[in-house]
This record gives sequence, C-alpha cells and structure tokens, in this order.
Amino acid sequence: MRSVVVFLFSALSMMPFKVWAAEPVWFGNANAPRVLAIDSAMDLASFEPILKAFVALHPDVRVVYRDVNTLELYYLIIQEQKHPVASLAISSAMDLHLKLVNDGYAQTYQSDFTDNLPDNFKWRNQLFAFSIEPIVMLVNKEAFPGELPDDRQSLLQTIRQNEKTMTKRIGTYDIRESGVGYLLASQDARQADVTWGRLLEAFGSHDVQTYCCTHDIIDDVASGKLVLGYNLLGSYASQRARDDSRLKMILPKDYTLMLMRAALIPKGAPNAADAGVFLDFLLSDQAQKMMQNQGLLFPIRPDMNNANDPYVVSAPGPTGVIELDQQLLVGRDYAKQKRFIRNWEMALEISSED
Amino acid sequence: MWQKSLDHQNLSEEEEKRALAKAPSLRFRFILAGVLVIGIIAGLAINLIFDYSQKLADLSYDRLLRSALLQIDENVSLIRNEVSIDIPWSAFATLAQADEDRVFYKVESLEQGFITGYQDLNSTPPKPPVLDQIQFYNQEYSGELVRFAWLERSLTDPETSQTVRIVLGQTRLSREAMSTAVTQRAVEVVVFIALVALTLIAIGSHLVLQPLHRIERALEERAMGDLTPLDINTPKETHHLKVAINHFMARLQTNLEQLENYTADAAHQLRTPLASLKALAENARDNTSADSSSPQAQQQALENIVKQCDALSQTVTLLLNQAVVSHRLQTHRLEPTSLLEPIRASCRAQAVTALHQGVQLSLDCDLSDAVVLGDSFSIQQMMQNLIENAVRYSSLGMNNATEVIVQVSEFERFYRIRVIDYGNGIPDIEKSRVFERFYRGRYDIAGSGVGLAMVKDIVDHHSARIEILDTYPKGTTFQVDFAKFMFDEDTV
Repeated sequence: MRSVVVFLFSALSMMPFKVWAAEPVWFGNANAPRVLAIDSAMDLASFEPILKAFVALHPDVRVVYRDVNTLELYYLIIQEQKHPVASLAISSAMDLHLKLVNDGYAQTYQSDFTDNLPDNFKWRNQLFAFSIEPIVMLVNKEAFPGELPDDRQSLLQTIRQNEKTMTKRIGTYDIRESGVGYLLASQDARQADVTWGRLLEAFGSHDVQTYCCTHDIIDDVASGKLVLGYNLLGSYASQRARDDSRLKMILPKDYTLMLMRAALIPKGAPNAADAGVFLDFLLSDQAQKMMQNQGLLFPIRPDMNNANDPYVVSAPGPTGVIELDQQLLVGRDYAKQKRFIRNWEMALEISSED
Repeated sequence: MWQKSLDHQNLSEEEEKRALAKAPSLRFRFILAGVLVIGIIAGLAINLIFDYSQKLADLSYDRLLRSALLQIDENVSLIRNEVSIDIPWSAFATLAQADEDRVFYKVESLEQGFITGYQDLNSTPPKPPVLDQIQFYNQEYSGELVRFAWLERSLTDPETSQTVRIVLGQTRLSREAMSTAVTQRAVEVVVFIALVALTLIAIGSHLVLQPLHRIERALEERAMGDLTPLDINTPKETHHLKVAINHFMARLQTNLEQLENYTADAAHQLRTPLASLKALAENARDNTSADSSSPQAQQQALENIVKQCDALSQTVTLLLNQAVVSHRLQTHRLEPTSLLEPIRASCRAQAVTALHQGVQLSLDCDLSDAVVLGDSFSIQQMMQNLIENAVRYSSLGMNNATEVIVQVSEFERFYRIRVIDYGNGIPDIEKSRVFERFYRGRYDIAGSGVGLAMVKDIVDHHSARIEILDTYPKGTTFQVDFAKFMFDEDTV
C-alpha cells in the first residue's frame, strides 16, 4: 500500500519525497463512540494541549492525530478524495490548502464561529484560518559572528563579512519538499524580488543547508551547527527561544511575512460533524486564549489587553500578510512553480536529481 | 295616480343587510381590476429586472475577467522558441475582487500543447475561434458553472511562430450575488410602487364614491315631505345623478300636489251635498214645527232629502269606484276579455235610470264576440261614466234629446265604441279640458267632475284611443277604439 502511495505521489508531484514518518497519536477516551481523524502539518507540541482540552470537552469523541508534511498533506487529500481518512486537514501551506479548495476538494462549513471570523481569514466558507504568525529568523547568539541582523540587508552584509563562519551554517526550507517552505520563498520573491535574488545567491555561494521541517532547523541552530535559520515559523521559533537563552528570534525589519494556519474539511469526510465542532473549538475564545497564554500558537483573534505579550505580533517593520485568496494560486502555477524551483536549485547549486 | 312597487313593504334591517351583502361591490371590482393590472405590470417589470441584472452582473465581472486575461496575455512570450508564461500576481489580485469565486485557467499552444493551468479544461470555445478576439461563455467545470474568457493569439519571432490559447474562468458566485442584490432592490422598489398604486386606487375608489355617499346621506337626512331639490356640491360625474334625482322629486311633488288637490276637491264634493242635505233636513224640521205646513210640503221636503241622499250616494259610489278602478289598474294584469259583456251590463244598469230622465238608451251591436286585452270591471266603469254623462247632458235644457245610442262596430284591427247623444254638445274649446280632473263644464249640473278623468285613465291604461266628436245635427259623440286581441300575436 505504502509503495503504491509513494508511486502515486511521485506521479503527481514533480519531485520525490519521503512519506510521513510520524505514527498517528490518539487522544481521549478509548471507548468514545466517535472518532475524529485530523491530518495536520503542525508540531504536536504546539497542538497537544488544544487536542487534550477538546477531548475533555467532548468525551464522546476520540481524536486521532497524524502529523504530515504540508506537501504530503496536499497530495494525500487529492489521493484520498474518494474516501478521505481524515475529517479535518490543517496546514500552514495556505497556498496548497487554497488550491485544494479552489479545485473542489473541500466541503462547506458554516457556524456562528466561522461567521464571526473576518472575511480575510476565511475563503468560501471552506477554508478557515485560526492562527496567524510571523515568519522569523532564528539565530544562535553565541555562534553568530558580530552584530545580530535586524533585516535581510544586514543578514546579507554579515554573510559577506563572515564568509567562512557562515558557510554551511545557514539553514532554511527545502522548497521542493516543504509546501510551506515553497510558499515562503515565493512570497519573498514577490515581496522583494531583488533582495530575494541576492539572498538566494548568497545562500548558494555559502552552501545553505536545506531541511524539510522547521524543528530540524531549530534543533541545529540550538546545537550551534547552524548560526541562523531563515524563514522559520514564528510559533515554533518563539517557543524554543523562550526556553533556550542561546536562541534569539528576529522579525526582519524590512518586512515580516505573516502566515496563517488554515483548516479545511475534505469533501466526503467520514466525520464532518465533529470536524466542524473541532473547528469551532479552534476558533473559540477558550482555544484562542490557550494558544496565546500557553504560548502554543499566535491566535487569529489575539487578546490585545496583554501588553508586551510575545504572542501578539509586534513587528518592527511592515508586515506582509499572505492573503488568503485566489492570488495564492499564482505561486502554485505549474509553469511558475517549475521555473521557480529550477531557479532555486540553480542558485543553490543543487541538481534536481538530488 | 302613481305607480307603487307591488310588494311595497318596509324591509327589515336584516333583510336589508342580506341584500347589501348580495349586491355586487363597485369598489371591489375597481380594486380587483387594479390589482390585476398592476400585478401583471409588476410581474413583467420584475421579469425584465431579472434579465437585466444578470446581464449587468456579467458585464461588470466580465471586465475583471478581461483585465486578468489581458494581464496574463501580456506575460506570454517566446523564449528560445518556446512559449513561456509568467502569470502575474496582479492578474489574480484582479480576480480576487470576486471574493469567493474559484479560478480556473489553462494556457496552451497549438504547436506545443499544454503549457500551464488545468490540463483537463476544455479550451474549445462555443463560437468559431477568431485570433485576438476575446470570447466570454459559461461552461460547466469542476461541478460548477464557470464564466470563461477565451483568447487566442499568435506569437512570432524571426525563427518560429506559435498560436497561444488562454482560457481563464471564474465561478459565478459574485455575479449571482450582484444580480440578486440588484434584483432585490429593484423588486423592492417595484413592490413598493405597486403597493402605493393599490393604496391610491383604494383611496381613489373611496373618493370617487364619496359624492354618492353624500347624496345618499343628504337623502336619508331629509325631513319627511321635503321634496326640494338637492343642494349639495357634487363633481361633474355625479351631477347628472343629482339632476335626475331632482327631476324625479319634482315629478313626485307634482303628483303629491295633484293628490292634495284631489283630496281637497273630493272633500269639497262631499261637503256641498252634505251642507245642502243639512239645509233640507233643517227646512223639513222647521216645517214640521210650524203647524202651518201642509202635509204636501212635508212630503216635498222629505222627497228633497231622499233625492239629495241619492245624489250624495252617487258621488260616494263614483269616488269609491274610481278608487277601486285605480287600484285595479295598478294591481291587475290585463287579460283577454269580452268587450261586449261590460258594455251590455252597463247599458242594462243605466237603462232604467235613463228612462227616469226621459232618455231612451239603446245598444246598437250586431257582433257576437269582441275580445280585447283588458279589465272587465274597468271597462264597465268606463261605459257607465260615458253613458251617465251622455244621459245627463241629453236631458238638459229645452231640447228634445231623448235618445242615447251606444254603438259597437268592428274594424280590421280594433273595435270602436261610440256613445252618441243629441244634447247641446261641447264647445270645441272645452273638448280638450273635459278629461281634466274636477273640470266641470257646467256647474249647474250634478256631477263630480271626476268621471271623465277616470274614463281617460282607463282608456290610457288599455292603450286605447278616445276622441270627442260632434254628433250631427247636435250633440256629442265619445268614440273609443280598443285594439283587437290577437291570439296568434300573443302566443308567438
């Protein structure tokens, strides 16, 4: 079965990738009559308290949670379109999720909670954002040479000035493997094409390290293997920076991308009703407050009363919110994506056969 | 006399209410017609609006689609003999103005095949493709109706030439929302106008009928016996009604006046003989108390009283007969009846009386049967009056008129009755007046003055014809023509 899946994925995608490694995790009463399967591209650490709170509220629902890479999740939903396993799919790759909705893989859901959600945080009542977080750079203060960069220009300068120290010590997403990595790169290119070109060139000439997942990059930054991680998800970075004094999270001053995490209910989902209930819970005050107070995620409706709360984004410069609308389809245009990845590979001197 | 309704009795309140409920309502019909007409017009208007709003929404959103298509088109180029496309973000930002609409697109070249977009999208337009000409059309895709813009263009550079086809579509949610919004607003306005129009009709119908109610009230509030013309201001439309009512009341007034005159005269008729009767009776009493009176004188006085009583009795009978005739004329339908019966009867009744007055009454009739449409009693009364009249005027004066002839003859279409006397005759100037009620040619002759008037009434009621002719050498002839009763005519 798994080989078939891999074959299908390969056929569908332009590049090979690993099938998810994470085993499904169960929450709630083992005897609960109903099961809600959630596929999510989200670290369990950030999500576990929320899932536990949910099953505590709804003892008759058992949640099975599967951590899936954003790109895998996209192909999984297409592959399972006839008989979806998961009733709720959560991803930070907004573009892939939006494309799924555009191409008709999601079903409509409407409730008081989704109605209260501002229009720019949902699309067609099929795609709902419940968290918005900054895209950051994470540096290892001890390993970083010289002054900490506060924007991309100063990062470029540091790289040029400390060529040896920086070589092989910058980490970022492999945009071929990570959906969200591609999204962030394409948004960088859109926001500041020239800066992105220089950055890519500098990354290429200094053997940037590519990763599939945020926490791997963070691990390596923490261990000092890397001095800087570029384009990391703010929620994971801030969690680790809070606990680890060596780490510092930087919101680039030139512009800070803002990324939403969004959820959809696949068409034909086995338990769409409980998926809706869970979605309502994600958007409820209780879950939103949990995200903020326990430092799990950046809530979509932050409680502004807490001054200096690190989970209320206060970017030093302009924010480039990645809009949840049809424009995201452009980044995923077949020709554009092919060209973008080829350019990326060329810049980073990686062959596509790698 | 005037006509009365046959079942003239006061309707009870309940019956009146029932009649009112049964009567068709003018106002209801008016409003119903208004509702129908306005309903049809509103229906048509709403239908038009539906069409129009669809077109309007397509027009507006097609502009977005065209703009996005042209932006994409601008980014198509030939690089190293291959079609290269870089879809601009702004093209989709344009499309994102239709918030919730899904976007589908496909770029292909006829030489190179699929380039980007949705590969399974049908890129054949419904109309024959023309280069550089944008086509818009609706087509089902991905389970939804999608509005597509289609463009084909040739790209040339010195080495190669390709034809590129771009199809860009978006679902119709925003269009539907817009047309619904337009329609809804317009329908609201149409419904509002229709309601206003109906209200105006309702108010208008009330106002139109208002003058009628005013006339009605003015009539209801009248004091009894008030027959003066209505003096209320009414609009032109009800002016004629008012005038008609006023004319009717004027006629009623005339009739009432006649009745008053008749009553007064009748009283007068009765008072004179009563007064003379009283005088005679007093005279007789005085004669009795005065012993000087002779039995002859007493006898004479009593004779006078009896005569006067007879005269009075005759007058009362006449008045009664007239009342009866009048009543019969109003209430009895005319029936086929023999004309000869009542004539013979009245001749028989009058023969003796006439003879007392020295007049010989003869009936000259050789018909065996004469059927007319009429009332036997009335005809008899008519004959009686005519004969009485003839006898009375025959025995008058110094002449030797001792004969009154009643003649009945047959003509093709009518029977002619003639009552001929040889009295003094009636002067021509009086002939036209003898039928007037209470007109009396000579006051020295006993008579009520109502006899001939009654004759005229009866004649008119039978649609007969009466003429007064002179008898040769002198005297008067009353000639009455009754139409024959035709069996076949009636049964047809």
